[in-house]
Amino acid sequence: MTKIIQIKDLKVHYPIRSGFFNRVTDHVLAVDGVDFTIEQGKTYGLVGESGSGKSTTGKAIIGLEKITSGQIIYQGKDVTKASSRKAIKYNKDVQMIFQDSMSSLNPKKRVLDIIAEPIRNFERLSDQEEKQKVKGLLDIVGMPEDALYKYPHEFSGGQRQRLGVARAVATNPKLIIADEPVSALDLSVQAQVLNFMKNIQQEYGLSYLFISHDLGVVKHMCDNIAVMYKGRFVEIGTRNDIYNDPRHIYTKRLLSAIPKIDVANREGHKAHRRIVEQEYREHYHKFYDETGRVYDLRTITETHQVALKKGDAE
Amino acid sequence: MWKTILRRVLLMIPQVIILSVLIFLLAKMMPGDPFAGLINPNQDPKVIETLREAAGLNDPWYEQYFRWIGNASQGDFGQSFMFKLPVATLIAGRVGNTIALALVSVIITYLIAIPFGLLAGRYQNSWFDKMVIVYNFFSFAVPLFIFALIMLFAFGYRLDWFPTSGTVTVGLDKGSLPYYFDKFKHLILPGLTQALLGTAVTIQYLRSEVIDVKNMDFVRTARSKGVPTNKIFNRHIFRNASLPIASQLGYEITALIAGSVVIEKIFAFPGVGKLFIDSIIQRDYSVINALVLILGLATLIGTLISDIVMSIVDPRIRIQ
Amino acid sequence: MTEKTKDTITLQESIPPMGFRMIAREFVKEKMAIFSLVVLAIILLSVFIGSFFIDQSQVMHVSILDKYAEPGTVTVDGNQFLLGADEGGRDIFGQLIIGARNSILIGFAITIITSVIGVGLGIISGYYGGLIDNIIMRIVDFIMILPIMLIIIVFVSVIREYNIWAFIWIMSAFYWVAKARLFRSKTLSEARRDYVSASKTMGSSDFKIMFREIMPNLSSLIITNLTINFAANIGIETTLTFLGFGLPQSVPSLGTLIGYASSGDVLVNRQWVWLPASILILVLMLSINYVGQALKRSADARQRLG
Repeated sequence: MTKIIQIKDLKVHYPIRSGFFNRVTDHVLAVDGVDFTIEQGKTYGLVGESGSGKSTTGKAIIGLEKITSGQIIYQGKDVTKASSRKAIKYNKDVQMIFQDSMSSLNPKKRVLDIIAEPIRNFERLSDQEEKQKVKGLLDIVGMPEDALYKYPHEFSGGQRQRLGVARAVATNPKLIIADEPVSALDLSVQAQVLNFMKNIQQEYGLSYLFISHDLGVVKHMCDNIAVMYKGRFVEIGTRNDIYNDPRHIYTKRLLSAIPKIDVANREGHKAHRRIVEQEYREHYHKFYDETGRVYDLRTITETHQVALKKGDAE
Repeated sequence: MWKTILRRVLLMIPQVIILSVLIFLLAKMMPGDPFAGLINPNQDPKVIETLREAAGLNDPWYEQYFRWIGNASQGDFGQSFMFKLPVATLIAGRVGNTIALALVSVIITYLIAIPFGLLAGRYQNSWFDKMVIVYNFFSFAVPLFIFALIMLFAFGYRLDWFPTSGTVTVGLDKGSLPYYFDKFKHLILPGLTQALLGTAVTIQYLRSEVIDVKNMDFVRTARSKGVPTNKIFNRHIFRNASLPIASQLGYEITALIAGSVVIEKIFAFPGVGKLFIDSIIQRDYSVINALVLILGLATLIGTLISDIVMSIVDPRIRIQ
Repeated sequence: MTEKTKDTITLQESIPPMGFRMIAREFVKEKMAIFSLVVLAIILLSVFIGSFFIDQSQVMHVSILDKYAEPGTVTVDGNQFLLGADEGGRDIFGQLIIGARNSILIGFAITIITSVIGVGLGIISGYYGGLIDNIIMRIVDFIMILPIMLIIIVFVSVIREYNIWAFIWIMSAFYWVAKARLFRSKTLSEARRDYVSASKTMGSSDFKIMFREIMPNLSSLIITNLTINFAANIGIETTLTFLGFGLPQSVPSLGTLIGYASSGDVLVNRQWVWLPASILILVLMLSINYVGQALKRSADARQRLG
């Protein structure tokens, strides 16, 4: 499997200023040492609660956040600097879908201009060709042709998000970073958007970095998953590894929190959650050091890595 | 909090310095100098030159500047060529008048603005509110000098209710009660004129504050708990809305200074504003420099005070 | 899987949210606003068309014999003084028309210049933040603290070759600051929105983002601000001219006409000199202000729409 992009020891730290002269006294460790690789055609999931640093990671990869240290290797080149990104037209190949569909589309622009924006920046097409291409994109996401001259506020949330997807796909990217793309949508609409995303992936052979806090959605979409906590990974694995053989107590906790609609076994689920909670408290010290920081990842199998104390590979 | 205040004060220092240099240079750039009109044109130009030299007008500008600043900090602003008086004395004589006028103006402004603004907000859409809105619109739109002229014309001349110039009628015994009454009478028309237009921003602000707060949930809660409406308004809403007015102080002062120039001219009121205009026409440097510096300082200090007050009474830290 | 609805047949023109057309629609609903606009239009038209027919040099020609002629009287040359004459025997009506034209043009010029500088710097400052923002805001803070009117008066006295353009530039140099501050804060809140991030990832240049993406979203504010500013600038210009520090004396202007009222005699006995100019300024400013307020109201009401 070809590697599309490789992230090495990525760190994004925000300085905290205090004192009379606004000196930098401390740092917020938003992302604190993250390694992973995304392969072509596959979906990599990044899961965690709010504040875990998953969105920041996504934004750092696409270039919206400044990277404190670490490397992002794309096509053999380190693209942590904006200049190197520009030189290889990085953003033609790496695009983003945003969470809030209303604010991610410029309310004063028509759909045609919104979707055409990346095309205009990276390709030279005539007006006719451009229009054709946009129409094609609208078709792929199941939007009617007359959407071309409408404004974002004339659409529903799900439709807008589909427009966002169309825009992201406009330049035939190789990697799309989807930052909580369905979190703001009704459940019924979520499925629709996710299915479109999957279809597009198959048709174009592109990769996704799927960022979410919803483990249920992630299970549906992702091949490989990384669980994040306070800026670090606690567990990496395939879908099978994570859902069927979770090793880290945090992962277990997250999984047990997925709401299950299974009324008959209600009591059983509740008991299970209690066990998981207890296990969390008992084994806390095994998985977190004195400062509450997550340990480094240790390899368990070829695909599965867990953050454990040294020498604890259970 | 003290941190911000200290930083603010420290920031002010370079501002003052830059201001004084700027003023000084500006004044120097004015064509003509105090000697131009003073001396007998038939005089030998060499004599004029020696006089200039003696007055230090040919020294490099920074030397003149430091001389000026050094003197100024000791209270010596030089000599006014217009009046042949030390500038300090001259200004001291006038500043009292302007301050009196400003005080009257500010008091009347808030006497009108606060009740009007608060009540208009409370009784939104009533005839009172509608009137206040119209009045507010006019006080924004009408230029001060036109309004002042009309006021002078109508109340001063036509109706003869108020005196039309000066600070006091000649002939009254200084220190006597009629003297003070008369002085006050002279202040009313100009003060009222300035105040009537000065209420604009405050009324608008208060009214919208009251309206916003009025519609907030906690008011509805209080009402449903049975708290009498008056109490809600007086205790909570009005008080909270009024505090930030103190933060307007800096801009009030700027407006008052700009206004005084116009008002004092129209009402022939011998204050600092009129002095400024006269000194510009006469090219009396010392006076101009001193005035702009003092007035600039006044504005700076006013803004500083309002910033400090604002940080103390920050509405986000309301003490219930 | 395209959904063909009936709407594709009836081509409904989409209205941009908070765009000019939206504001215009709200605007026409207010009768008073339309009335003000009409009044304004009438004044503007008559002033501009009128000034074509009036010869400035003839108007400013001093004719002592006609000193303080009353309205309706005839000059030595045989022309009629519609509104009388001033101290120098100059036709008030002519000065009124030309003076109004001057004030309007100057006010307009100042408004445009300050808007371009203020909006531009405000957006740049709000978008980039950091050092650029700091520098610009320091300058803005410094200027806001100065007693601007006083400094303008000093400047006006300083300039050697003084003409209308010098005046316009001096005014503009100081009055852009309030605008810059306003647009900076609006830009700060807009720039935080996702579509700006999206544009960045789409590879759009900063310049494009600032002025093609963010600025259109500030358009309603720009329009209302422009209008109210226009009135304010006319007011400031006339005030300065009235004090003697605006337009030169040889140029007809509304301020100088009113300036004659400083003398008690003119004020009380010869109202035709200053009253028409005063009324004209009042009507002009009131109508511009009303139009501006109405625009503000129309823009605001719609802002609730997502």
